[in-house]
Parts: sequence; structure tokens; C-alpha cells
Amino acid sequence: MSEAIITFKNVSKTYILYKNDQARFKALFFKPRNPKTNKALNDVSFDIYRGESVGIVGDNGAGKSTLLKMITGVAFPDTGEIIVNGKVAALLELTAGFSMEMTGRENIYLKGYILGLEDEYIKQIEEKIIDFAELGDYIDQPVRTYSSGMKMRLGFAINVNIEPDVLVVDEALSVGDASFKRKCKDKIKDIISAGTTVLYVSHNAESVREICPRSIYLRKGTVIHDGPTDETLKVYQDYKASLKKKK
Amino acid sequence: MRSVGCLFSRPITVLLQGGCFLITDIFKEHKGFGKQIFLLAKNELIKTYKGAVIGPGWAVVKPAFTVFVYWFAFSVGIKTMKMMKVNLGSHDPFSVDFFTFMFIGIIPWFFIQDSIVQGAKTLRNNRQFITKVKFPVSTILTYTGISRLYVHIMLVVIMYIYVFFAVGPSWYNLQFFFYCPLMFVFFLALSWSTAPMSAFSKDFESLIVSVMSGIFWLSGIMYDSYSFDQPLKFIMLLNPINFFANGYRNCFLYHRPFFLYKTEFCIFMAEFAVVFALGIFNYNRLRKKLPDVL
Repeated sequence: MSEAIITFKNVSKTYILYKNDQARFKALFFKPRNPKTNKALNDVSFDIYRGESVGIVGDNGAGKSTLLKMITGVAFPDTGEIIVNGKVAALLELTAGFSMEMTGRENIYLKGYILGLEDEYIKQIEEKIIDFAELGDYIDQPVRTYSSGMKMRLGFAINVNIEPDVLVVDEALSVGDASFKRKCKDKIKDIISAGTTVLYVSHNAESVREICPRSIYLRKGTVIHDGPTDETLKVYQDYKASLKKKK
Repeated sequence: MRSVGCLFSRPITVLLQGGCFLITDIFKEHKGFGKQIFLLAKNELIKTYKGAVIGPGWAVVKPAFTVFVYWFAFSVGIKTMKMMKVNLGSHDPFSVDFFTFMFIGIIPWFFIQDSIVQGAKTLRNNRQFITKVKFPVSTILTYTGISRLYVHIMLVVIMYIYVFFAVGPSWYNLQFFFYCPLMFVFFLALSWSTAPMSAFSKDFESLIVSVMSGIFWLSGIMYDSYSFDQPLKFIMLLNPINFFANGYRNCFLYHRPFFLYKTEFCIFMAEFAVVFALGIFNYNRLRKKLPDVL
């Protein structure tokens, strides 16, 4: 097996639910006593290797978003360790993180710097991004003048063209009109076949089966099953069926 | 595809642990982001002043009106405040007209006020950079600070034109390049504490906003903070805003070196060390919780 590109070692994350604003203010100075908590991730461990496509399935509130946020470096674990070896591109919130007053071109650079890229390299991929986003002359206008579709296209184009080592995709992603959607799907497939590690989040069993040979099933912050997609989906669907029976 | 690897300047291994941030993390976040900070600072200015006819002119109009109001109230309204006698420790008090005295002291105040109030609000106002994407969060405080510094330098230029004719130039004017960066760093370090705390609790933010107008009158902007008897004279030295108001007067009015009043200088430096250490401590303590609470 090749080297692990993402490693989760006993990762736990608890959100503290403050009773009210007073409690929140107090928490600035003192540790809250017996606060209500929500355990979003509970002792999660797994390795994902270079070139793997891994699906993550689970109901709402299972900890999928928290997990992805940690991989993209937005959220931090309380305990445990996460190692990510490479550039992560996230197709999650495409319009987030733009500086509205800066032009599309300047935002490409901003995003590039955040990812730790050099000027020279960004220059190389700049035209590719602009072409892909189909923005034309708008690329030198401030992003606040863009339509929401244009913003998404730019966000998508930046993320897929930086040649990421890890691509995080949320199935619920929408990127404008049908023809652009198809273009995006094709691009994602290209990236996968090029050997990029992909994390795919979905409720839809079929699309996970199509893309990912391996899947992880999360329930209430705990890894219930980690293995071949068919097995994982069976566990997931059995659990769902058992819930229905109880009702 | 991997051939581009050599172009990366920084190691791209990201290691997230449950433990504490290292002390150097604020500096690390700034590394390699310098150019971007100045670009973002410029855009911050555009954001503040776009859509107005005179645009950045407002950065001058508001302080100018404030200066006029204080001058009117004290020199025209309360007729006694025409001349100031400043006790600089020598036999004869330093004599200067009230307007010049107040004008030179209030210019750093405008920067200080903005830095404290806006600095505390910055992270909450830029939450999209914290909760949605991975971003070097402490640089947000730096680039918003730099955008305020641009405005400050514009005001200082205007003030210097006045000083040039009313007081006259002096080599001591160059001490501005000591006081101004020091002021910038001091209030930046203060915002490392206040900004994450305000992001955490809106009450903390409101607290800061509410005490600001009081702090103005407790600082020696409109009056001479050296003019009190002990122990009040000593207590006034504890206020770092006095250090800068008097510091700008050292440069442009009193024409004396920054280290002449040793007690004042030493007290400030001690406070600076405390604020700096607290800033790093609070930022590191709260940084990882920010995405959860914003």
C-alpha cells in the first residue's frame, strides 16, 4: 500500500452548547462546569491512502461535516491527531472565502497563497481557471459584481485546477446550469481517474457505489463500519431498516 | 502532475493536534502572506469608503469635524482654555496654545480609538474567513490594522503641514517613526486578545465599545496628563494612550527625546510586554474554538 495521505488518530471533537449568552461570556474566563455538550466525533481513527476514493455516508448530524471541516483545516479536534499530506481542494462551500472587493483574478491569487502556492505556479494555472469558469472579461471585476452562479463557477474552477492531492466533494453541490454541471462532473471524473485522492460525501447509495470502492459509515460521531462500499452500505441500510421496523 | 512540487515554498503537511498552539504560530501565519496582507488592506479601505462621493475624503472629514468641535467647545465656549501650560519638569512650564496642543494629541487618539473598537470587531465581521475556509486568521487583524494605518498616515501628513508652519520643523519630528510603528504593534497585540474574545461573546464587544468614550476623557488628549500631583500623576502614566499622545507631542511640540522621561518609558515598555504576552496567550487559547462559535 502507498503512503497514507490523510491520517486520523483517535480524533474526538465536542461542541459545548452554552445555555445562554451569560454562560458564554463566563466561559471566556472560567471553564464551564458540567456544560451540555454534543459529541460530534468520538475516537475516530482511519487512514486514507494516496489515490483512494473513499465515500463517507451517514445521516444528518453523524459528524460528516465536522470530519470534512477538519480535513480542510477549518475546524480543530479536541483530542487526537490529524495529518494531511498535501493540498486539499474542497468542493463544499464554493462561494465562501472570496474577498468581495477584490477582482476574480486577485481572488485566484488569494486562494493560491492560502494553499501555499507560489506566484509562478499560480500564473501557470491562472488562464486555465479563467477558461474553465467561463468568466471572460468579468475576471477583472470585483467579485461582489458577480452573480451567484459566476461565483460558484470561479470557486469550482479554482479548486479543481490547483491540482489538489485531496479532493473533497459534497454530493449536494450545485454549480449553475445543466451544461456547466455536466462539465463539473466530467472534471471530477477526470481528477479521480488521474489518481487524486477523493473523499465523497453523500446520502445517495448509488452514487457512492459508482465512485468509491471503499466507504466509511459514521453514526453519531463514531465509525460504525469502514470497508468495501458494498459491505458498508449494507450495514448502513440494515440499520435504517431496523429503525423503520421499530417505528 | 507531481512536477510542480518544487514550486511550493512551504511544507504542505498540515498537522492538527488537540494541544496548544505554539508561541510562534501568529508569526508563522504571516510568513509568505506579506503581499496578500497589503492587497487585503487596500481592499479593506475600498470596502470602507466605496459608494461615497468624496470616498476616502470621509476619513478626513470626520476627524476634522471632531477637532473643530473640541476646539470650539474649549477655546470659544469655555473661554479659559486658550493657552496650555505644560509641566515638563523644568522650572518654566512649556506654554502653547490649546488648539496646537489638542490637535497633535488627538491624531494618535483617532487611530487608537479605531484600533480598539474596530480591532475587537474584526474577527466577527470577517467570519467567512474563519468558518468556511482555512485562513491564517491572525493576518485578518494585521491587514485591517494596516488599512487603519493608511488613514492615520494621511492624517499625520495633514497635521504635519500645520505643525510645519505653527511650530516649525525639528529633528525630533523623526521620532514619529519610532512612535507610530510602536503604536501599531501595541494595538495589534491588544487585538489578539480582544478580537477572539469579542468573537466569543458579544457582551465583551459591547463592553469595549461602551468604555471607549470614557477612556477618551481619562486620557491626556484634551488636558496635560503630567499636570497632576502624586499619586495621580503616577496613575496617569499607567495609561498607554497617554504614552502615545505625549509621545506625538514629544515629536512635534515639546521636541524632546522619547527616553527622557524614563519612568514613563519603562512603565509603557512593561505594559507592552504584558499586552504582547497576553495577546499570544489569548489568541492561542481561543483560536481553535473560533470556528465553532462564530
